Amino acid sequence: MNLPNLSLADFLPLLPAIIMVVGASILLLSEVFLSTTASRAYQAVLTVVTAVAAGAMALTTMFEPPQEVMLGFGVMDPFSSFLTFVVCVGLALATLSSVSFLRKRGAERGEFYALMLFASAGMSLLAMSNELITLFVNIEVLSLSTYALTSYLRRGTRPSEAGFKYFILGAFSSAVLLYGAALLYGATGTTHLTAMAGPLSTAMSSQPGLVYAGIILVITGFAFKVAAVPFHMWTPDVYEGAPTPVTALMSVGVKAAAFAAMVRVFFMVGKGVDPQILLSLFSVLAFLTMVAGNLLAIPQRNVKRMLAYSSIAHAGYLLVGVAALFVTGPGEQFRLLGASALTGGTPLDLARAEALRGILYYLLAYTFSAVGAFTIVSVLERREDEEKGTAWDLERFSGLAQRKPGWAFAMAAFMLSLGGIPPTIGFMSKLLIFQAAVDAGLIGLTIVGVLSSAVGIYYYLRVVVYMFMRPVPEGAQALEKSWSTELALVLSTAAVVILGIIPGPVMGWLEQASSIFGQ
Amino acid sequence: MNIELILFGAFALLTLLSAGTVIFARSPINSAMALVSTFFFMAGIYVLLWAHTVAVMQVLVYAGAIMVLFLFVIMLLNLGESSTRGKPTVARVAGGAATVGLFAVLAIILLKLPAEPATLSTGAQASFGTIATMGQVIFTQWLFPFEAVSLLLLVAMVGAVVVAKSRI
Repeated sequence: MNLPNLSLADFLPLLPAIIMVVGASILLLSEVFLSTTASRAYQAVLTVVTAVAAGAMALTTMFEPPQEVMLGFGVMDPFSSFLTFVVCVGLALATLSSVSFLRKRGAERGEFYALMLFASAGMSLLAMSNELITLFVNIEVLSLSTYALTSYLRRGTRPSEAGFKYFILGAFSSAVLLYGAALLYGATGTTHLTAMAGPLSTAMSSQPGLVYAGIILVITGFAFKVAAVPFHMWTPDVYEGAPTPVTALMSVGVKAAAFAAMVRVFFMVGKGVDPQILLSLFSVLAFLTMVAGNLLAIPQRNVKRMLAYSSIAHAGYLLVGVAALFVTGPGEQFRLLGASALTGGTPLDLARAEALRGILYYLLAYTFSAVGAFTIVSVLERREDEEKGTAWDLERFSGLAQRKPGWAFAMAAFMLSLGGIPPTIGFMSKLLIFQAAVDAGLIGLTIVGVLSSAVGIYYYLRVVVYMFMRPVPEGAQALEKSWSTELALVLSTAAVVILGIIPGPVMGWLEQASSIFGQ
Repeated sequence: MNIELILFGAFALLTLLSAGTVIFARSPINSAMALVSTFFFMAGIYVLLWAHTVAVMQVLVYAGAIMVLFLFVIMLLNLGESSTRGKPTVARVAGGAATVGLFAVLAIILLKLPAEPATLSTGAQASFGTIATMGQVIFTQWLFPFEAVSLLLLVAMVGAVVVAKSRI
């Protein structure tokens, strides 16, 4: 047996994840030497520094051509690098927002930040996984960290319920995913995504049932992870019960990483089977998710739950982008509107690159807007109200514009961005996704998407109305300020507004970077 | 009819019987003990598939370590006769129907598989599934998933400690 020879350079592509794991280990070890009352302000700083370092590492690899790493078990392509960057942005912002949140509750511990870093390392590795077992293990790394983080604060029943629900359903969905992966392995005889296409097309003619069952089970597993309807039931309860900064990381990081893995798996599977099958499956999921997510969010008076349903709706818009990856030919009657900026390749390649660019930009946009919105939610909530369930009521936002004009402005920006109203990053990202869908010929899905996001504007603007047009409620308590929350808010508001007006820099990156391994 | 087929039939039948007992036994202890034997007979099937290492792991880890934990939990919680047999609600009937439906679909798919999966097993060598081969492969070719698993174990440990802490 000839054994492979790995050198240190082979591990360099994994550097962002390695940096995060090292940072987490330092945090864990430092906790051993601290008394319970010692100051822990440095822990958040260390986490943010680690996230920035890992994000910067990911950026430096973003313009390298796609390549296999770790003997083909992983790939490093602009897609994975950008995803790692998005995860690091989300991690840094969520960490900043958790400092005062944890301090108010006397719960600042190294383990919290360490688990956040472990989760992000898992997300980064998941974006790079190119083999089904590796992919599954990395999904579990990020899932286990988020299960533990969900039940990190266990005062009262809600967090325990959320943690338990998330754990059971998460484990169940992982099992479904694994079963589907096993069936695909049974049909093809390989777990390597790159090697799967050829055997898949053979198996499709001899054993179509096995391949269909495998594909459907894998899609089901991923649909649980990204909270797509009809596999979304856990989302509102878990998002509500988890500590708010954790919810922020879950809604952006877990979603981004799961989408990355889903795109990578089905991009490769789509080479072996008729893409039409995947197109119809993802179109149905996207349709249900967009419509149900938005409709279910309307009656919510609880802003945290509303944001949970809104995150389901956003998964739907992203699924439109995923569906656009599997069109077999661009819509004849539509000139490639956005793809003209991309160079090289056939129209089909251009349409795919456009869809990838849309997905990536959307994930970045959602990261800034959602983490920002959850940060505002976390500074307004008070622990005493959690049991009563009023901690996140819309009333909390009444008159915020008079009490804290800055926060109200920031929240308004996030709401407009989530609703997709210009001039925010959310508008640009919706534009890109729907443009890609139109170019791919998915007109019906685009119309549903635009209409349902118009429905969404109702519940986003309701928060803005409460903030600006309602009087301050009697007996409202003073709101505490802290440098870290302010920094997180300033950064995300700036990104939401500036990238909405001048999307140039990131778009420039994405035009070069919207390529995935095997394209 | 060769000896492998007879052994497979015996193991398969016993696995099914014990798995059925896991579900239908009234006492949790009986369920847990039936689960032990399910794992054990599954290990027999793994041996027939030339997966010796997995078979040993199955007995050591699942039938051994994990089942001890199971029994500890059952005894600590002092679970008596099962109380889960309530009235058939809509959710229960629908859930049961969905399970049976999924099982039927998978059964149909698996029954259609060719009896001789010749194309898939040609790559298997005599050393396939032995500890020596696995040891060589796991630390070289499969290094990336292996390291990811070690990260997973670390995360699981930290997560368990965080969740088990009495109060934060």
